[in-house]
Amino acid sequence: MNLISKTFMSLAVASVANTLLAAPAPGERISFVSCPIVRDTATVPCWLSEYEGDSYYLTIQSDVSASVQPPLLGHQVLVEGIVTDAPAICGGIVLDEVRLTAMPELDANCNTMLPADDRYIIDFNPRPPGPSAGRLAFDPPPGGSKEEPPPPEGPQEFDIYFDFDKGISFRHPRLLSEILTIAEKLQPSRLVVTGVRGAHLLSDGTLLREAPNTGRRRAEEVAGLLRDAGIAVQGEVNWIDAVADGVDDWQSRRVTVRLLP
Amino acid sequence: MSKLKTKLVAWQRLLCFLITVMVSSIDGTLAVAQPVQEEAFSDRSLLWWSPGEDRPLPAYIEYENEYGRTGLLNTSGVIETDGHPFFEALGTNGRGCVTCHQPADAMSISAATIQQRWQDTNGTDPLFAPVDGMDCPNKPAGDPVSHSLLLSRGLIRVALPWPPVDVETEFDLEVVRDPTGCNTDPVYGIEGEKQQVSVYRRPRPAINLRYVASSRFGVSPFIGKTGQLAAVDPETGRPLNMNMMADARDSTLKQQAQNAALGHLEVDTPLSDDQLDAIQEFELQLYGAQAWDFTGGPLSVDGGPSGIGPQAMADGSDGVLGNNTTRFVFPMENKWADLPEGATENEATRNAFLESVQRGHDNFFYRTFWIKDAMHINTVGLGNPIKRTCATCHGMHMTGMDTANGWMDLGTTNLPWALEPPESPWAEEEPVMPLFKITCRDDLPPHPFLGRTIYTQDPGRALISGKCEDVGTIVIQQFRGLSARAPYFSNGSAANLRELVDFYDRRFNIRYTEQEKVDLVNFLSIL
Repeated sequence: MNLISKTFMSLAVASVANTLLAAPAPGERISFVSCPIVRDTATVPCWLSEYEGDSYYLTIQSDVSASVQPPLLGHQVLVEGIVTDAPAICGGIVLDEVRLTAMPELDANCNTMLPADDRYIIDFNPRPPGPSAGRLAFDPPPGGSKEEPPPPEGPQEFDIYFDFDKGISFRHPRLLSEILTIAEKLQPSRLVVTGVRGAHLLSDGTLLREAPNTGRRRAEEVAGLLRDAGIAVQGEVNWIDAVADGVDDWQSRRVTVRLLP
Repeated sequence: MSKLKTKLVAWQRLLCFLITVMVSSIDGTLAVAQPVQEEAFSDRSLLWWSPGEDRPLPAYIEYENEYGRTGLLNTSGVIETDGHPFFEALGTNGRGCVTCHQPADAMSISAATIQQRWQDTNGTDPLFAPVDGMDCPNKPAGDPVSHSLLLSRGLIRVALPWPPVDVETEFDLEVVRDPTGCNTDPVYGIEGEKQQVSVYRRPRPAINLRYVASSRFGVSPFIGKTGQLAAVDPETGRPLNMNMMADARDSTLKQQAQNAALGHLEVDTPLSDDQLDAIQEFELQLYGAQAWDFTGGPLSVDGGPSGIGPQAMADGSDGVLGNNTTRFVFPMENKWADLPEGATENEATRNAFLESVQRGHDNFFYRTFWIKDAMHINTVGLGNPIKRTCATCHGMHMTGMDTANGWMDLGTTNLPWALEPPESPWAEEEPVMPLFKITCRDDLPPHPFLGRTIYTQDPGRALISGKCEDVGTIVIQQFRGLSARAPYFSNGSAANLRELVDFYDRRFNIRYTEQEKVDLVNFLSIL
């Protein structure tokens, strides 16, 4: 091996070592904003994102019942999760408690679609890419229940979580309907809605805040929807700014609804 | 034409049709069709149904079209149209519901029929009423140029208030191009006396409305795709599927009938409850589908696919998700796969056609491609893009509609995908559709795929909801009776089924083979 080759090899080893050293350890929380990447497979596509030289597995395509739903090409994605030592999926480090939200502004750089590669096999897909077998991928959907809840007593509180900078969306009809149903049973005298402008402390120390009016916009939208849906009681609408600490910051993007008897 | 002459012609037509009618037998099943009398159908002027003709609409009747025959089935039996509000000229302009919902056109109206009607009446039929049968009501009467969009694409002018009533709009609307002159008109324009925006849309087919109006799946107080409040039936207080009109502005059959009467028919007084009941009752018992194909022969026969033909529509379940291998969107049970070669040339040709139909179905149902940047499909938790099939969006059992709250942007009206003539010094084709510039508010998140500046021929649902994300979203309509009612898409931009398939091929970069396109057209033509 000549000198150039040795030097190149040394640099390559050092680079790999640095990468390995930089990779977060299992159990470590990680939070970053990056472009999502979609990789085709022989079955359903899987979703990845790269951060500081590492590739992270985000989720696979399934259907609307999934708790972790794929991001959007054309937008960066805010990823939160806990690093695991589980076998890589689609070549990506697996995260536990992963939370994804698309950043609202368009980013034309986020357009990577990778072809299927025999090394990456998705054999746990609960739903093929075409027609289903007659049921949702996750039934009942995570967080949902087919059991009739007990009659409500006393004040009832609900947290509604949002995508970054976004208001009410496809994520919310189920919970809004549940609030409506409980309100019909409880017959509250007061409705208190508090909107929160979310904040995120990213792994690189960056503090990411939602748009300044987000908490108010969310609170007024939720209060208006519930009122128009029939909860016609005295209401109170508040809004606050969240403080980020890097732990489950996704929960700061929320509206809290309180029904008071 | 005198009333007597009208009746004579009407009875003459009925006699012609009865030759080909497939009548309901005692047990409700259909007998085999009689041989078609092609001479009875070769003249499209004989197919027109004017309001007030007072002839009965048979329990079952077939009408010829480009591909074969479409069957209409009244499950309550013969409809006496004398005095029936659907068939009478209720309005001051001489129109009835039937004017734009012609039995021969699967209860919609094709551009070919419109052109024939212009020719037959020299443009004097109430169909061409200025209110919406003209590009703008102030155009010169009797000039086909005044009716260019109706004659060329079968488009009716839909004038909506701008800005929308009782809605906070998230965007500004500017007129970039106004080939009809209506959106910049001092009376009818968006800044005119009436403060209207004019968009141009195809009349939807008034068949199989039990399916279209069904609220059995995916309906809740809050709209599944957006979380916004769903429309509520004023009679029952229950939420509705909002799947009837292109922009979902009316959500019950009675609301649609009432507003169509006030707008399109220009009635002096609103329809009575009895009239609305009669229209709804008629619409909920009427089914339609292609019944016979020139090459494939009878489409609903014993031992054939269970989801084809008008009787299948009458028998089917509404409000059922069909994008699965338990119910299917259009159940065919592989009945037309691997047919024998055929003992005669005719049989061979027929079987080859039916096999093509089966392949077209399988392509529709199983052939994956990347669905990308489609508002209200890529944004509802599936990701962008998703690797799915036609049946993902067209998933409702028996109709191919979306299951609920089915407005989405497939690119039929929004640029860059909407059909636009090339802009070049050598281009001779002039744009025919209006073009609007939408500027979404900068204090709100942008449209997820089109940003804050959107160009569109028709803002669609956004003209009702005021939402930036709804710009260019159109409610998906049913697939039945397609052969009878070209052109396609809400703006009539696909002149025929091949252009419809070609649009999707371009829009989603599917790269269909020629055989796949032929199969899909054959499949769509027999629905």
